[in-house]
This record gives sequence, C-alpha cells and structure tokens, in this order.
Amino acid sequence: MPAFLLNSNTGKRTLTLDPRTKLLLLVTMAVFVLGGLGGAKMESFRLVISVMPLFFLLFSRKWRAAVTFALLFSTFYWMQIYLIPMTSGFVNFMVIAMTGIVTRFMPSIAMAYFVMSTTTVSEFVAAMERMRLPEQIVIPMSVIFRFFPTVGEEYTAINDAMRMRGVRFGGGKVTAMLEYRLIPMMICSVKIGEELSASALTRGLGAPVKRTNICRIGFRLPDVIVLALCLLAFGMWIMNSLFV
Amino acid sequence: MIELKNVSFQYENADSANSLKDISLKIADGEMILLCGESGCGKSTLTRLLNGLIPNFYAGRLSGSVCIDGKQVESQPLYETAQKVGSVFQNPRSQFFNVDTNSELAFACENMGMPEAEIEQRMDHTVESFGIQKLMNRSLFELSGGEKQKIACASVSVSAPEVIVLDEPSSNLDVFAINDLRRILQDWKSQGKTVIIAEHRLYYLRELADRAVYLKGGRVSRILSGGELNALSGNELAEMGLRPLTLDGLAQTRKREEGDGQTVCIRDLAFAYEGRTPFLNIPQLSVPKGSCTAVIGHNGAGKTTFSRCLCGLEKRCNGAIQDGAQHLRRGKRLKHCYMVMQDVNHQLFCESVLDEVLLSMEEEDRGKAEQILSALDLSSLRDVHPMALSGGQKQRVAIACAVASQRDYILFDEPTSGLDLRHMKEVASHMDELRNKGKTLFVVSHDPQFILTCCSYVVHMERGRVKAQYPMDAEGQSRLRNFFACSVRQSV
Repeated sequence: MPAFLLNSNTGKRTLTLDPRTKLLLLVTMAVFVLGGLGGAKMESFRLVISVMPLFFLLFSRKWRAAVTFALLFSTFYWMQIYLIPMTSGFVNFMVIAMTGIVTRFMPSIAMAYFVMSTTTVSEFVAAMERMRLPEQIVIPMSVIFRFFPTVGEEYTAINDAMRMRGVRFGGGKVTAMLEYRLIPMMICSVKIGEELSASALTRGLGAPVKRTNICRIGFRLPDVIVLALCLLAFGMWIMNSLFV
Repeated sequence: MIELKNVSFQYENADSANSLKDISLKIADGEMILLCGESGCGKSTLTRLLNGLIPNFYAGRLSGSVCIDGKQVESQPLYETAQKVGSVFQNPRSQFFNVDTNSELAFACENMGMPEAEIEQRMDHTVESFGIQKLMNRSLFELSGGEKQKIACASVSVSAPEVIVLDEPSSNLDVFAINDLRRILQDWKSQGKTVIIAEHRLYYLRELADRAVYLKGGRVSRILSGGELNALSGNELAEMGLRPLTLDGLAQTRKREEGDGQTVCIRDLAFAYEGRTPFLNIPQLSVPKGSCTAVIGHNGAGKTTFSRCLCGLEKRCNGAIQDGAQHLRRGKRLKHCYMVMQDVNHQLFCESVLDEVLLSMEEEDRGKAEQILSALDLSSLRDVHPMALSGGQKQRVAIACAVASQRDYILFDEPTSGLDLRHMKEVASHMDELRNKGKTLFVVSHDPQFILTCCSYVVHMERGRVKAQYPMDAEGQSRLRNFFACSVRQSV
C-alpha cells in the first residue's frame, strides 16, 4: 500500500489549496494534457499547464518527486522537439510513441500524486459536503477511504501467512491461490466492517442533524490564481472553437 | 442512574452462549462497575445493552427494560443514546472511523452537529489532559495498539458523555499501555463519570472498581463491593475462573525439568527499516533447545520484528539459527519455522479443518492428519469450515497445522490476548504438548500469568536489542514479576 494514500499529515504546509481547487486542477490537466483538447492551437498553453505540477511539488516540499518529474518531463520534451525531426522510419515511430506517452501522462500523474499526498480524507469529505453532495454519497465515500488501508493491512498479513505455509503460485494451483487469498481477506474485512459500523453508530453517526466538520477549507489567494488559470484554459478553448 | 429490570436476551441464530437471563441491576451515577466472568458469560452482551447496540444493531430476543436517566435505551434510536453513553471496544484496529487522529477526536461531536469552535476547544482540552500532543495530526494506521486505544478513549472524552462503557479494552495492550488506560479510568472516575467495564484482566482495576458484578451462564451470580473483590484469595478467584488481582502471588505452578543442556543459537539477526539505524540487532542469542521461551518487552521494542525475522519473513534480514549441525539461513528458516499469528483468521485458507492440516504436510497423509486432529481435540470438527469455528478452535487448528508441517521452531504472537483463565490454561497445555514433541517454542506475550504457567526461559527486549535473558528459576520468576509489576506500581 503506497504510503501517500494513507496521508493525513495536516501539519505545516507551505501551500494550501482547497480540495475543490485541486479537483478542478486534476480535471483541467486530464482534459487538456492527457486528452489533448484544443489541438495544436493550444500547444504553448499546454506546456504551461504541463509544468505546473513541478511548482506544486516544490511548494509542498516533495523534493524527490519534483526532481524526478522535472528530469523525466524535460528529457522527453527535448526528445520530442529535437529527436523526432532527426530520425526516420521505425526509430522515428518509437520516439514519437514514447515521448507522446510520457509527456502526456507524466503531468497528470504528478498532479494526482500532489493532490493525493496533500489532501486528508476529512478535507475531502468537507469539500464534498460544501459541494452539497448528499450524505448518501459522502458517508460511503469516506468509508471507502477508510477501507483502502485496512484491506492493505489484511493483505500483507495473509501474504505472510501464505509464504510461511509455503503456498505459492505454480503447480496449476492458480485458482486455489486466489481462493486462499480472498477468503480470509473477505472474512476479516466483513468482521472489521461490522465492528466499525457498531463503533460509528455508538458515536452518533446518522443523527438527523446537520453534521459539522472541523476542517477549515475555503478559497484563498492561491486558489484564485489557480482557478483563474484553469478557467483561462477552458476560455481559450471555447474562443478557439467558436471563431474558427 | 442506570436501571436494568429483568433483562433477558438471546442472540438471533446463536446458541445460548453470551445470552443474558433475568438480569436486574441498579447503577448509581459516578459508580465504576466491573463486569467479570468467564468467556461467554454475557458480559460483552451486557455492555451492548447499555450502549444501545442491542437491539438496534445486534438482533435477538429481548425482554425486560434498560433505563438510563429515565429513558428507555432499547426503544430510542442509537444517535440519542450516543449523546449519553460513550463506548470503547476491544479491538483498537476496528473502532476508528477516520484515517487521521484529529478527525477521529472530532467525529462524535461532528455527528451531533456541534459548532466547530466548541469542538476545537473541547479537543484542545482533551489533548492536554490526555497528554497526547504527539499523537495529533497523525495517520491512525501508523499508531500502535496502545496509542489507538488512547485515541479511542480521548474521542469519548471529547464528546463528554455521562456514562462510559468499555468492552475488554485491555485485550490487545501491553503492560505500559494498560497503565495509561488505568490513569484514564482514574480521571473519568474523579470527574464523576459512570464507568462500566467488562474485563478479563483484573489487576489494573483493583482499587478502582466500586463494585464487581460476577456473571455466570448469563446470570448475575455475585455482586461484590470493591473491598470484597480485593479480599478474594487466589484460590477463590481461580474457582470463579477469574484472572488474578495482583501479580505478587503469581508463581510457577509446576517445576520444569531442565533440558539436556543443548542450545539453539540465533546469530546476527539484524534488520533496519529503510534509511534508519538498525532497528533489530541481535548478534548472538542462545536459548535452551526444546524449551518454551517468552519474549517480553514494551510495544515497539522489536518483538514483532524479531519473530518476523526469525521466521524468515523479512527479506532483508539474514542471520542464522544454529542448532547442532543444522545451519538455517533465511530461506530455510521459512521452511523450518511456523508462526501462530495473533489474528489466526489470516492464516486459515481451506474449506475444512482436515484440508487445512493436509495442506500443511509435505506429503499428504490422512491417517497422520487424523491423529494430529484427535490429539488437539479437533476430530469432531474435521469437516467444518475453519471460519465457522470459535477463536480458540481456530487457534488449535493453526497449532495442528504447525505440528503437521513438522517444523522444529514454533512462534506464538500473543496467543492469550483476551482469553479468560480456563482458555489461557488450555493454550498453556498445548504448549506443553508441543514441547514434549521436542519443538522449540517462542512466545511473544504480555500475559505474566501465562508466561509463568508455561515458559521456562525469558528473553527481554528493548529497543531492538536483547536487554536480558534468564531461565525461569526462582530468581528469574521474581525478575519477570518485577518487569510486569514495576509499571503497575508506578501509577498507584
């Protein structure tokens, strides 16, 4: 289980963005960089959005991730510009495919990492509540977040037990392997789920009052800047498609 | 004031274990009540009646009435009971709803729709009085069992109910964490909270409980005042099936025959989590062959890492077990060691108990498997699905697998957490049988009574190193008692 999924470190952060801003960032990233909306006309603007994750990673002190992203992205971007005209045939095709994939996927992956590693579950829940999503969606969503790490823990423990008993893949036992893994995991998850519900109910979950949330979320200056940038992207695209 | 009138309850689709019969009980405000008795006596059921989980969450046949401050618990919705009654449960892993500690503390108050500013004020107050500043802003998944239980208690404190119900809260805790728990209970008592606690371990509750309710077969068998409880002799407690009230009286019950002087030597067992100083570092450790060695120490002293490394489960830990001519490095240890895990649910995979034992054998041998099962009193359950068994039976199946796999070294991780006297003794007798078969056993345990019942050697760990090792002779016994007792005395 990757550690950043369990993130909850609300300690010191240099850049705080509202979860809703982060969501819009992800959507913008996916639509324009990954999806390539806007075509060649928006090429230069696409580059601007593509390098944005670098700044977010730097601001949130994720040095390692920032360096990795910067190196990978700049290398492949350089390859895209200089290597494609220089090569031909199969090599050309390979370079186009490789650079295309990396320059399109990397920014979205880096942005997703930034969002996941800097947002706690309760902030996310608070944001969903602010967006007036009904409780029937918000509570199951928060349970799902709670369950990822739980299933991860169970999986590790069962894996240990299997290694110790010498049960491994091979010998035509693939279905048995799946069964051995799934059954204890299901039983444990169900048991934990039941105890979890009991505990949550004794603490008043589901009371017919409006839930409060101690997470302070809201739009601040950085949010305004980022939101403006995202809206600019969508605005440019609309203008481009209207006046062609 | 809490009043139970002629309450009877039987779980749906279950036998009579854990049911309650004709319970009448009055609990005054500010009283601390201990519910005790053997497993299945119904003490957990009684706690569930008080916090409203019965009949709102656990269905069954209920008669009689449960009344808290004039309100019928059984007929009001759970969220209303939740404002009056706070609960702490047995398993620290499954009682938090959030992923981070801050949200967890605020959870109950958020559900009640309390204003944010007030919640924060209450949280600050609780964090200070519990001394848990270090635990704030953390992921609950990186906390130890004791720390999780502290957060569970703190989150109850934040919502400040008048009644607090605890169901075996110490089961998964070590002596030090139990000590903290005791302090929390003391605080609640001095604040005038009504506290009802169902528990097997009694020693930390002595001098705290105002009354003890002893349940037997679902009925109130005796009600003792605090003084009467403290005056119970060791024999009386044993007759009632209760764990001891003090550690002082504990002694090894039988004299153990010494081994033939052969030793098993563990060498160069070292392990570090990525980028940290060595967390486990054992250059050399010798234990008598064919003995049962207790591994004791704080939570976080490296006991779990030790057993994982010994079993060969940690890939980056080499080292070796030297046993006569046998030299076992990591890969081989994986085939020669067997661990009975604390949560045995993780290690049972098959469709029947017999299959489970057959899977563990190098070569399937039905006759031998049957033999092993009958030795562990499991023959009648051979075709049952392991997941349908009780906790103790599952543990026995895991032991049967260990025997069937013919491993020489068997490790037990907390085999008696949450067990009553009778079941603890059962586990101890299985240990003796394994020793008679010539196995070398390692037991990670926080249970002094259990260690004294079946272990003959002690390894005391601290900060990833062996701090002390000694045989369980008269001197060893007093050292062991000291280890467990010192933390208890500190708080009194």
